[in-house]
Amino acid sequence: MTSLEIPQRTLTLTETGPARRGTRPDEVVIAVSPAFGGTFTQTIVGVPHAEVLRQLMAGIEEQGVGVRIVRVWATADLAAISHAAARLSGSGISVGLLSRGTTMIHQKDLARLSNLELFPQSPLLDADVFRAIGSNAAQYAKGESPQPVPTRNDQMARPRWQAKAALLHLKEFECIRDGAGPVELEATIERVAG
Amino acid sequence: MTAVQPRNATGSRQSLRTEVLEERPVNLDGFVEEWPEKGLVAMESDFDPQPSVRVEDGRVVEMDGRERADFDFMDSFIADHALDVATTEASVALPSGQIARMLSDPGVSRSDVLAVTRGLTPAKVLDVVKLMNVVEIMQAMQKMRARRTPANQAHSTSARDNPLQVAVDAAEGALRGFAELETTLGVVRYAPLVAIALQVGGQVGRGGVLTQCALEEATELDLGMRGITAYAETISIYGTESVFVDGDDTPWSKTFLASAYASRGIKMRFTSGTGSEVQMGNAEGRSMLYLEIRCILMAKGAGVQGLQNGSISCIGVPGAVPGGIRAVAAENLVASMMDLECASGNDQSFSHSAMRRTARMLPQLLPGTDFVCSGYSAVPNQDNMFAGSNFDTDDYDDWNTIQRDLQVDGGLRHVREPEILAVRTKAARALQALFAQLDLPAITDAEVEAATYANSSNDYPFRDVLADLTGAQAVMDRGITGLDLVRGLEAAGFHDVAENLLSVLRQRVSGDLLQTSAILTADFVPLSAINDANDYAGPGTGYRLEGERWEQLKQLRHVTSATNPETEVR
Repeated sequence: MTSLEIPQRTLTLTETGPARRGTRPDEVVIAVSPAFGGTFTQTIVGVPHAEVLRQLMAGIEEQGVGVRIVRVWATADLAAISHAAARLSGSGISVGLLSRGTTMIHQKDLARLSNLELFPQSPLLDADVFRAIGSNAAQYAKGESPQPVPTRNDQMARPRWQAKAALLHLKEFECIRDGAGPVELEATIERVAG
Repeated sequence: MTAVQPRNATGSRQSLRTEVLEERPVNLDGFVEEWPEKGLVAMESDFDPQPSVRVEDGRVVEMDGRERADFDFMDSFIADHALDVATTEASVALPSGQIARMLSDPGVSRSDVLAVTRGLTPAKVLDVVKLMNVVEIMQAMQKMRARRTPANQAHSTSARDNPLQVAVDAAEGALRGFAELETTLGVVRYAPLVAIALQVGGQVGRGGVLTQCALEEATELDLGMRGITAYAETISIYGTESVFVDGDDTPWSKTFLASAYASRGIKMRFTSGTGSEVQMGNAEGRSMLYLEIRCILMAKGAGVQGLQNGSISCIGVPGAVPGGIRAVAAENLVASMMDLECASGNDQSFSHSAMRRTARMLPQLLPGTDFVCSGYSAVPNQDNMFAGSNFDTDDYDDWNTIQRDLQVDGGLRHVREPEILAVRTKAARALQALFAQLDLPAITDAEVEAATYANSSNDYPFRDVLADLTGAQAVMDRGITGLDLVRGLEAAGFHDVAENLLSVLRQRVSGDLLQTSAILTADFVPLSAINDANDYAGPGTGYRLEGERWEQLKQLRHVTSATNPETEVR
């Protein structure tokens, strides 16, 4: 069990056992990378992981769709994480997340290196984008075809963030547990009093 | 349990000066601490191998501490194709300090240096350049650059993939002096129209400019073979086997692709750069420069004439670690000391600080390289589909002033407004006429008018994108070639542009552009390491900015007349 405190909210991710395949056709599985909400507590630009999950879950639930959270331990490759989660999802739809914020919506019948939507520029992802990603994932789960979340681009993201992204990637790699299967997580997000 | 304190919440008072410094653009750049074990280090790492080489029966059996049985495929390729087995043991045995001195000493000729460097192993090359500071690296580059005359290369792209914008900015870029022009796309299906536009615009601006379109490798080759483009550059190579394999490639597959270009007389170079392997998490614990030296030797072994390096799209990684920009200068030098053409980077957004952007390019501008920028943005950076360059159109006057201040030739010149407007209009008219000849989507007179005076893609009327994409597909389906472009331009009355393009196409028959560092002059004379070999041998020798070219570079937008100080020089 890991828990972390942030100014407004705490995120506690508790493992409840091996991840199982869902049976509800109206669910989205969110899959987080090895260091998410543990070794790391915020994205590359400081969006707290509690906020990332809160927004994604809210975006999904607003569409009347259920959500489960799993952690993939064996890889830090976003496509592999997302595709593994899609295969666990009752709807076949997943949202994969790296600690630095890079996000992908995947579907179980697509090739692993393909995806429904990819958000590669992690420094540009804020709370609103995460909520929209959750909403779109839920709409795919319902069999709808939502407009893709508009992608953002900033040519100065390279000088500011490229090296830090490399560093975060290397650290995330160190948290990989070879051969470990995905685990089911229970997320508790609580407001901090005062 | 882990706990995170709120950031910047110490509550202590800051000085007013700190507040000013915090607001400086340089503090928007990212900097990180080194982590040598993971390869997040520029060029000084205890985890790089020590140089060694052993040859038995004309075959390298040990290189940089590894027996042949333990070679990965990069080692094998370099040992079998890059190293000169006849000289490698003697070269590696020379003290590194002696080789470094040969490099920076003008008294030692370029060919004498090459006689040694062609036998050096990757770890030995690193051992040599590690001894050199940036001034010594520049001194060596001045001598080791393959072509005597330095040059520059531009990006001409459009955020809307508007072919007309690409054509007119190519024309202006060519007129300002770029020897090569490169484009790429947002929507790749636009490629055929944009590549045609680049070629036509380039030949209007200055006959003999060479063009290329960066695309997925098969399409890029197809456009080259059709004669719609004149060279290729975006053939990426990597310094570790794991990253190479991730891209479904090997040194042999890249070499095969290189030979496909050569078979048609098309100029091409590989691309590599420090930081790519650690960025992808597979640096195998080696420094960025060591891995880049492996790439350079691989390129040499493949037999290509040149390399684009200088970190390129990973510049944010070496740029963030100590000594990173020194390592980038060193990697350019290593390409040149392996007798390869070097298109030396400065082609990607690098810093929020104008001072830092300038300092980053001085090690290439001051000694001169084959292409100081391998992509100066000849469009505003907002239109740069290579994700932004270190310099763009806003910097033209600064660049020209720096050339004039230091009396160095960075390949550009100031051009007066009427000349620029004339080539922009002509390029737009030529493309309009060619599209009509080829039954491609029409370019209106209103678009031509807008193109003449435009700065960015926002200044153009919207095009019918679906019609353009249908037209682009038709170019591919109908098998349109460079000769069709020549024919269409001729039929439309643009005889001189047709003649220019035909002269460029003829080069693939002679094969002169396959020579190292080849470019074409305005008279279609190839300038390469064969007929324009760098002969620098100290003060007063080699390429000098003088005569007519210096007179050109004395021109700026505003220079007060000495004859009549109440006016400016026209």
